[in-house]
Amino acid sequence: MKRIEKKLKELSQDNQKAFVGYIVAGDPDLKTSLELMHLSVDSGVDILEIGVPFTDPIAEGPTIQQAHDRSLENQTNLQKIVDLVGKFREKDSNTPIILMGYINNFLIYKDLINRSHDLGVDGVLVVDIPGELSLEDYGIDNQDLDVISLVSPTTSKDRVKEIVKNSTGFIYYVTLRGVTGSSNLDGNEIEQNIKYIKSISSIPVMAGFGIKNSDDAKLLSSFSDGIVIGSSIVELIYKNSENKDFHEVSDYISTMKNAIR
Amino acid sequence: MKDNLPDKDGFFGEYGGKFVPETLMYALNELEQTYKTLKDNNDFNAEFHKDLAEFVGRPSPLYFAKRLTEHYNTASIWLKREDLNHTGAHKINNTVGQILLAKYMGKKRIIAETGAGQHGVATATVAARLGLDCHIYMGSEDVRRQSLNVYRMKLLGAEVHEVNSGSATLKDALNEALRDWVTNIEDTYYIIGSVTGPHPYPMIVRDFNAVVGYELIDQSQESFGRMPDSIIACVGGGSNAMGIFYPFIKMDNVELIGVEAAGKGIETGEHAAPLNDGTPGVLHGAKSYLMQDESGQVKGTASISAGLDYPGVGPEHSWLKDIKRAKYVAVSDDEVMKAFHMVNKMEGILPALETAHAFAYLDELMPKMNEDQHIVINVSGRGDKDLNSVVEIEDIKL
Repeated sequence: MKRIEKKLKELSQDNQKAFVGYIVAGDPDLKTSLELMHLSVDSGVDILEIGVPFTDPIAEGPTIQQAHDRSLENQTNLQKIVDLVGKFREKDSNTPIILMGYINNFLIYKDLINRSHDLGVDGVLVVDIPGELSLEDYGIDNQDLDVISLVSPTTSKDRVKEIVKNSTGFIYYVTLRGVTGSSNLDGNEIEQNIKYIKSISSIPVMAGFGIKNSDDAKLLSSFSDGIVIGSSIVELIYKNSENKDFHEVSDYISTMKNAIR
Repeated sequence: MKDNLPDKDGFFGEYGGKFVPETLMYALNELEQTYKTLKDNNDFNAEFHKDLAEFVGRPSPLYFAKRLTEHYNTASIWLKREDLNHTGAHKINNTVGQILLAKYMGKKRIIAETGAGQHGVATATVAARLGLDCHIYMGSEDVRRQSLNVYRMKLLGAEVHEVNSGSATLKDALNEALRDWVTNIEDTYYIIGSVTGPHPYPMIVRDFNAVVGYELIDQSQESFGRMPDSIIACVGGGSNAMGIFYPFIKMDNVELIGVEAAGKGIETGEHAAPLNDGTPGVLHGAKSYLMQDESGQVKGTASISAGLDYPGVGPEHSWLKDIKRAKYVAVSDDEVMKAFHMVNKMEGILPALETAHAFAYLDELMPKMNEDQHIVINVSGRGDKDLNSVVEIEDIKL
């Protein structure tokens, strides 16, 4: 069984929701990213989403954009990120890892991406490949690698059907119209849309974008299989990267994890 | 040759497409459907052409550049005077068309990105005319070097948002406009200013600018009895070039030449010439030639001209390059300044620094031409907006 499927099955058997945590690889540096990955898992993250920095991340709000810029100052690239995953796997072989980024970087490294499952990567989420397009058409083709797709409040029902058909692992439901880190969640709309996805498919659905506090987390987890949190974690990492004391990060993650129990 | 491109998915060969976050797909599909319905609608076209005639002042003249022709003493040089349009550049053709789309779609809020400010001014102008809320994104570096245009946009009632992220130029303004669009997707129309971005924009912007090329067919026939031998246009994103090239793509004996910004020189790497020194990649929703490093990160650009200071280029240009239907060359900042002065002194025309790139290629092209030939330069815009930059570059005390 694939690592993502296995993890989600275990959580659901325990009647638990999944916590997907996002960090940008290489922010503040790759060595610290490795520590932060382990720290996140120890504090309650179930699935790690590793941001691949890009110069022009059009779906990101200022917090994650600036993290991408900081990471790029360290010359972070996909090769180094796959190496990072390999190092993480030396100590953790259970936590699923998804690489999230933009198609231009993935195209340059498509051979590496196709081999990356053997190196410890479980899935890819390419933000600017709309769900009904297939990554195979762009040379990214490895059956072992899950392809996570986004569905948004503006996705039509017909397109949801197509997207669900091409997705494995889980569906990432974008909870708002906006970039990462925005805040205008509409609980009713989110619930309706997630219900629709669940009515046509058994694929798990994670809700993300705009989750700031435990109330948001609790609400969204009540009608999804789990939540994704990015900007808030990235912000706390930045705030503490000078002294590299990340207990605020682990406290925040534990609080969120408790909120969705 | 195929002339019905892009295909149904928005591709010109391998270039183009819709590489965008999911939230935008709804708006792009809505726009595509609307445009498909309206483009052959008689009322829509009548309204578009009435605005072009009465508000923009079309057709723009085809003007014989007598002294330039005598100077080179080979082919006749003709100028397609887009600089005489209302607001001073070809950019208004596209905004007049797209604001009509926005009107038919019932959108109340208009956003746009701008580099040199010409597209921002053209957008603010058409939004003012319809009384629509208008927001322009502009890199802070461009706000500085194009301050006159910033003030014009404000006079027209637009809100100008300064963008400080990344290189603080056109590409970052586009990123920010896309982010605004993702956030305000339902009530907002995004008027992209060049033949770039996700499908259907490269097609729509080309079609609205193609009026330039269609006029040129008739004007060439009237002025010298046949089609031109060469058409020259500057290329940043490539909308003025695409507009004048498009109706001629099928006419194999008309040479199409796009001139990119070589900045400090192609060999220095400090330029904005992806068709001359780039590789295929994906930026701002489309696959096209791109200035990028070996990791797929988009490189910084350098050009004297804010309007050409862009690391990507329209996907149809990438296709025309690969099938060898158009030729893409590049000229340096120094060559551009020389041409800028030459056009002022010999023809009494103040060209935009973008446009001066097209003139700067004459030194290389004209010695190879002969007296029976006719070439056309697309004078894409006027240079009043650049006077501050020129004064600064040449260290002149006013």
